[in-house]
Amino acid sequence: MLALDVLTIPKDDAVAFTFFTGYMAMMAASIFFFFERSRVDGKWQLSLLVSGLITFIAAVHYYYMRDYYLATGENPTVLRYIDWTLTVPLMCVEFYLLTKAAGAKVGLLWKLILASVWMLVAGYIGEAFNPEGGDTMHSVLWGFLSTIGYIYILYTAWFGEVAKLAEASNNAVVKRGVRTLAWFVLVGWAIYPIGYMCMPGGWLNTSLGWGSENVDLFYNIADAINKIGFGLVVYNIAISSSAKAQTA
Amino acid sequence: MTRAIFLFISSLLLLLPFVSSEEASSISSQMILCIPLILFLGIPHGAIDNVLYLRKRKIKNAVFIGVYVLIIGLNIGFWMLSPILAYALFLILSAYHFGQSQFSQYFTKQSWNQKALYFFWGLALLFGFVLFNLKEINDIMIQYEEFAVFSPLHQKLAMQIGFAITLALTVGFLLKLTIKKAITIENLSMELLVLCLILVCFYLMPLLIGFTLYFVILHSFKVLREEYHFLNFEREVSSVKGFIYLLTPFTLLSVVGIAFMFGLIHFDVLTISYGYCLIIIISSITLPHVFVMNRFYDLLSYGKGV
Repeated sequence: MLALDVLTIPKDDAVAFTFFTGYMAMMAASIFFFFERSRVDGKWQLSLLVSGLITFIAAVHYYYMRDYYLATGENPTVLRYIDWTLTVPLMCVEFYLLTKAAGAKVGLLWKLILASVWMLVAGYIGEAFNPEGGDTMHSVLWGFLSTIGYIYILYTAWFGEVAKLAEASNNAVVKRGVRTLAWFVLVGWAIYPIGYMCMPGGWLNTSLGWGSENVDLFYNIADAINKIGFGLVVYNIAISSSAKAQTA
Repeated sequence: MTRAIFLFISSLLLLLPFVSSEEASSISSQMILCIPLILFLGIPHGAIDNVLYLRKRKIKNAVFIGVYVLIIGLNIGFWMLSPILAYALFLILSAYHFGQSQFSQYFTKQSWNQKALYFFWGLALLFGFVLFNLKEINDIMIQYEEFAVFSPLHQKLAMQIGFAITLALTVGFLLKLTIKKAITIENLSMELLVLCLILVCFYLMPLLIGFTLYFVILHSFKVLREEYHFLNFEREVSSVKGFIYLLTPFTLLSVVGIAFMFGLIHFDVLTISYGYCLIIIISSITLPHVFVMNRFYDLLSYGKGV
């Protein structure tokens, strides 16, 4: 009986709806990436495994977040950040794996991971320790600090080491793939701050009156776009590159 | 993405929460923040007009400067005779100039399609700027009587129609150039994203801060980079330091000139407001600069590595 209550999704609750569809989509994407691993060249199998892990970790978290939200009606902030702390660095691993053949060093991987952890820890403090009713200064300060991490990753993907290595790879598929992932960072990752700024005290909340119920809606949409999209780009690179290798 | 776009996006993301969480900032407090940025980062991009225009031309520097000053003088005269026409001319030329610099990295030739895109992109930008800051602009207009003459140009309905038409034409020309393969789909996506971000910036930021962010970073910084790379390629300058030396004399002269005019107002020699005086000065230095930059972009050839 309790399980039935928990699984009831109100018709007008877009957040609950996106939690459920997010969970299913992430799980479906994981199965797809795991099964497709065998169809690509050996050098791409690790990349596809990481793509599958990203969506699988997210699917498990979405399973819990969906129930948490339906049971309490509150934002599952802690679960959300545990998910991101695992999956966002894995996305940085994807950048490293793509450019490894062109000479990417482990240092690049650590720099990207550090920047992503900085971004997430600052975002977590901004969101989880926001005083009751919201404090704009708190939200703005931690949002600002978190953005610095984001800008570092954005720079690395568009102009920095990742972009230079992709350019040096002389592989059109890798170049195109890295550029597509850079677009994900630019546009897809930029959806998260919109959610962040909807929480009480956030400036979209105070200036435009966007409610805190939008936080999870934006996060769920962004997660679906970024995690599954990121994986599909990597899959596309792997398949195109493997096909090219076979015809050569 | 160009470095100017990256810098613009980064600045917007970092500044937006701070500025938007503030109570409405007064024009004077905005001016304290923005005027130094415009003077020392905005004006320099026009401070080497003589160097750029005289490349591959047998005209003496003194002659060029004489003509430049004459055009400035004629423009000031035009402002005295017909402020509304002078203001309209200033906006039209600025629109074209902003558009031209925005798309400079894509085209090696400037056909009519490109020129129309520059013009409509710039106009959409200016219409958007006025439309999204109409209240602040009207408040200024009420405060200073010289601005009253421009109020017919700032009617809300006219701004809305103008914005909708120029925005539609901008998107239309961008699509046309994409179909004709003059720009790639990625370029199209980036330009649409940047246009959206500029408009968001104008909508959310206070009047002067929003404009300064666009003008200093997306426009001036970008043009300065292009000028540097061009002169470096032409072996006119060999380092950033040398480039700054080249920019300094006319930047300082412009700043001193503006300070002199403000001094005249302060001591009641000139009986106009500071804002009105600034618009006349900016319009007067914009007029010859637009023509110089048009020639500069003709000289630029990205295919040759400049």
